[in-house]
Amino acid sequence: MSSLVVLGTTEQGLMYAIMVLGVYLTFRILNYADLTVDGSFTLGAATAATLITSGYNPWLATGVAFILGSLAGCFTGILHTKFKITPLLSGILTMTALYSINLRVMGKANISLLRERTIFSDFESLPYMQEYGVLILALLAVIIIGFFVYLFLETEFGLALRATGDNELMIRSLGVNTDLMKITGLALSNGLVAFAGSFVAQNQLFADISMGIGMIIIGLASVIIGEVLVGTRTIARAVLAVLCGGVIYRGIIAIVLQLGLVATDLKLVTALIVILALITPQLRSKFSLPIKNV
Amino acid sequence: MLNVQNLVKIFNKGSVNEKTALDNVSFNLNKGEFVTIIGSNGAGKSSFLNAIAGNFPTDSGTVIISDKNVTNLPQYERAKYISRVYQDPMSGTAATMTIEENLVMALRRGEKRRLKLAIRNKDKDFFRQELRKLGLGLEERLTTKVSLLSGGQRQALTLLMATFKEPELLLLDEHTAALDPKTAEKVLQLTCDVTKESHLTTLMITHNLDQALNVGDRTIMMHEGRIILDIQGEQRKNATINDLLKMFENASGTHFHTDRVLFS
Repeated sequence: MSSLVVLGTTEQGLMYAIMVLGVYLTFRILNYADLTVDGSFTLGAATAATLITSGYNPWLATGVAFILGSLAGCFTGILHTKFKITPLLSGILTMTALYSINLRVMGKANISLLRERTIFSDFESLPYMQEYGVLILALLAVIIIGFFVYLFLETEFGLALRATGDNELMIRSLGVNTDLMKITGLALSNGLVAFAGSFVAQNQLFADISMGIGMIIIGLASVIIGEVLVGTRTIARAVLAVLCGGVIYRGIIAIVLQLGLVATDLKLVTALIVILALITPQLRSKFSLPIKNV
Repeated sequence: MLNVQNLVKIFNKGSVNEKTALDNVSFNLNKGEFVTIIGSNGAGKSSFLNAIAGNFPTDSGTVIISDKNVTNLPQYERAKYISRVYQDPMSGTAATMTIEENLVMALRRGEKRRLKLAIRNKDKDFFRQELRKLGLGLEERLTTKVSLLSGGQRQALTLLMATFKEPELLLLDEHTAALDPKTAEKVLQLTCDVTKESHLTTLMITHNLDQALNVGDRTIMMHEGRIILDIQGEQRKNATINDLLKMFENASGTHFHTDRVLFS
C-alpha cells in the first residue's frame, strides 16, 4: 500500500470512529440497536453540503449537522418511549422518513463540494497544516469528542444512562426517568453520527443520498472489532476500544480492497464480520469452549 | 406515615383474563413500624407493593406517603420516599457497573442527576465504611464489577443501597427467598439490624411463616386481593404458626395453600 492510501485510510477511519462512538452509545450503553444511524449519517452530510454550497460557514454547517442528527435521535426515542414502538421499528421508521427528508434537504441525489470552502480547507490554510491538515483535524476531533464522551459517562447523568441500558427496573426505582435517558442517549448518539457524516462529506467533497446505507452494520462491526482487540474493562478503555475499532475497520477494508475484493462486495464482508462476532459466544458454548471474558 | 385507601387494581380489565389483584385495600402504617406480609400465591402481595411503589397506575383509591398524595406520581418520582429490594438478586444492581458506581447511584436516589463527576474521594471513604458493616470484604473491591459477585453478595449490596440513604419507606419483596439458607439468614440479620438502627418504616413480604411472626412488629395476611388479617402486640406475640393457619382458614374460608410456604 502506498503511503497515500495509508494516510487516506487513517483520515477516513478517524472520521468514521466518531460515528462508531455514536453507535456504541446506543448499542452497548443503552442496549438499543438503533437503525436511525443509516439516515442520520446521510442527514449530517446532506445538511453540511447544502449549507456550504449555499454559502454558509462550514464550521456552522458542521454544528447544524450535529443538531439535526440529535433531533432525528429524539424522534426515534419518542416513538419508542412514548408510543411503545419496538426499538428496531422506531429506528427503521425514522430512517425511512429521513430518506425523503435528506432528498428534500439536498434537492437532488448528490451535491458536489469541489472548490467549496470546507472545515478541512480552512484548517489546511493554517501554517504547517498543508500536508497533514485533514489527519490532524480529524484526530483532534476524535480526541476531544472521545474525552468528553468518556467524562460524560462518568457523571451522575452518565451513570444513570448506563444503568438504563443495564437494569432499567433498578435505576427507575432509584428515581431516574428512564424514558428521558433513552431519548437523550439516542439524541447524543445520532448527533455524533450526523457530525461524522458532515466530516466525511467535506473530506470526500460530495454528499450522496445513499452514503449512509449499511452504516449501522459498519458501526456494529467496528464496535465489536475494537472491543475484542482493545478490551472493555473500564469505560475509558471501552471508549478507546470503539474509537480504535472504527480506524481498524477502515484499515481492514483498505487491505481487502488492495487484495482485489470488488468494492460492491464490501457490505457482504461487513455483515459476515458482524454475524461471526454475534454467533461466536453461542458456538463457544455449543462446543463447550471457555467463554473469554472481554 | 403510609396511608392506603380503597386501593383497587384490576389487570386485563374487560377481557377474559380479568383479575382483581387489589380489591379495595385500605391500610395504615405508622412511622417506624415493621410489617410482615404473608398470603398464598396470587393473593396480591407483590401487587400491593407495586401499587405503593408506583410500578403501575391503579384503578381507584389513594396512596399517601408522609402526608403527600403520591397516587398519580410515576414510579421514578416516588423514589424520593421509597426504596426497594426485590426477590431476584440480579434486579437490584447493575451488573456491568462497579460496586462504587452502583452505590453512588443509590446515594443519589430521588435526586436530580447532574453533569458532574459521580464519584468523589469522600464518597469512597463513606462506601468503604458502609460496606464494612456487611462483613463480606466488599470494602476492598470498590471497583469490581457487580457481575462478579455471588447472589448473596449482590443481595446484601442491594440491601445496603436501599437503606444507607434512609428511605421513608422500605419495601422488601421476599428478598431472602432466592438465597441459600445460610446467606438468607445473614441477609435477614442485616435487615433486622439496619431497620432497628435507623427505625425504618418497612413492609416485608415473606413465605416463611416463622419469619412472619418473629421479624418486625406487625403481621398482615392477604387473600384474593384483600387484607384478611392484621395482628400485632400481645396477640401476635402469643401466636404460633398453627394459630396463624387457623386464623387464615377462619378469615378466608379456604385452606392456606401455596407450594412455597415454609413452616419452619
